[in-house]
Amino acid sequence: MLNAAVTDLMPDAAATTAAETDNSLVRLAIGGDMQAFEAIYRRHASRIHGVIMRLVGGHGVRAEDLTQEAFVRAWQALPKFRFESAFATWLHRLAVNTALMELRTRRAQPLFDDDEERLDDLGLADSAGQNTALSMDLERAVATLPPRARAVLVLYDVEGWKHEEIASELGMAVGSSKAQLHRARQLLRERLGEQA
Amino acid sequence: MNQNDESLRWKLRGLRQDQPPKRDLWPDISARIAALPPRQAEEPVQRLSGVRRFAPWAMAASLVLTVGLAWQATRVAPQDPVIPREAASLTRDYQGALAQMQGAEAHPEFGVALQELDRSAAQIRAAIEHDPNATFLLERLRRTYAKRLALTQRAVMS
Repeated sequence: MLNAAVTDLMPDAAATTAAETDNSLVRLAIGGDMQAFEAIYRRHASRIHGVIMRLVGGHGVRAEDLTQEAFVRAWQALPKFRFESAFATWLHRLAVNTALMELRTRRAQPLFDDDEERLDDLGLADSAGQNTALSMDLERAVATLPPRARAVLVLYDVEGWKHEEIASELGMAVGSSKAQLHRARQLLRERLGEQA
Repeated sequence: MNQNDESLRWKLRGLRQDQPPKRDLWPDISARIAALPPRQAEEPVQRLSGVRRFAPWAMAASLVLTVGLAWQATRVAPQDPVIPREAASLTRDYQGALAQMQGAEAHPEFGVALQELDRSAAQIRAAIEHDPNATFLLERLRRTYAKRLALTQRAVMS
């Protein structure tokens, strides 16, 4: 399922070629070849950053930090990659796990939910009123969801994960994952309705 | 799943798009990797080489420490309990720098922002105590202190 989520936008032949290229680069990178790892980064950065952005609700600085963290962890974990699944799938899961770990840390410290972007705005004496955007599209509505509900919704409805996979990554019961999804969809409909 | 859910899910699937970072993250990633200790799979090779191989590593490590890059090294050692110590050291340095800047309190227009940054720094320190292996928190603390100092400086000079 997850594999399909990662590759189902590609034609089969192209996906196969991409996977073979990935595997060649991974073998070189396992041997310490930084140029190969940079090539891996260049090939996957947009996709990894994309999923992390969705998970953190579009907060750019956090997403960039976590993307960096994910690639550093990938470098460390490369020797454990067994070439049994697609590398893109493995990397995708590692990146999601990195983002979710941060989510769990923030959850343990509820008051710590202020953001880099908010801090960036502090004291800058900018009266342009940039926070008054009137239209809220679907992506922005997703970003306003509570972090845990958003994570479940993004993983299930956007990334195509199963509840069992989500529950495992988030350390929750399968039933809780389903309940969070129900709540997230309900909130999303309400918020989109409010904007209509 | 009802029809509404199906329709919503269909729209949500459309969000699955690549999104490149606004800046090139590779220089930072490669710098962090360069500061990493050797990967596990590479360790057996080094063990074969024995103590002689270890000595240059130790010398390099001490050099790195002496030029003040210890913090950068710790941020990529997730199992290293030194992170809380580095956070404390960072906090001492920050407090020393802050003590050099007098007069910010005379500008109440900066008060809310400064308090917000103080509150944020306190929360990050608490988070580090809660999760001493979270390397990204050290970077976040450093950034928050840097912003606090920059804003204080701006207040003092205004």
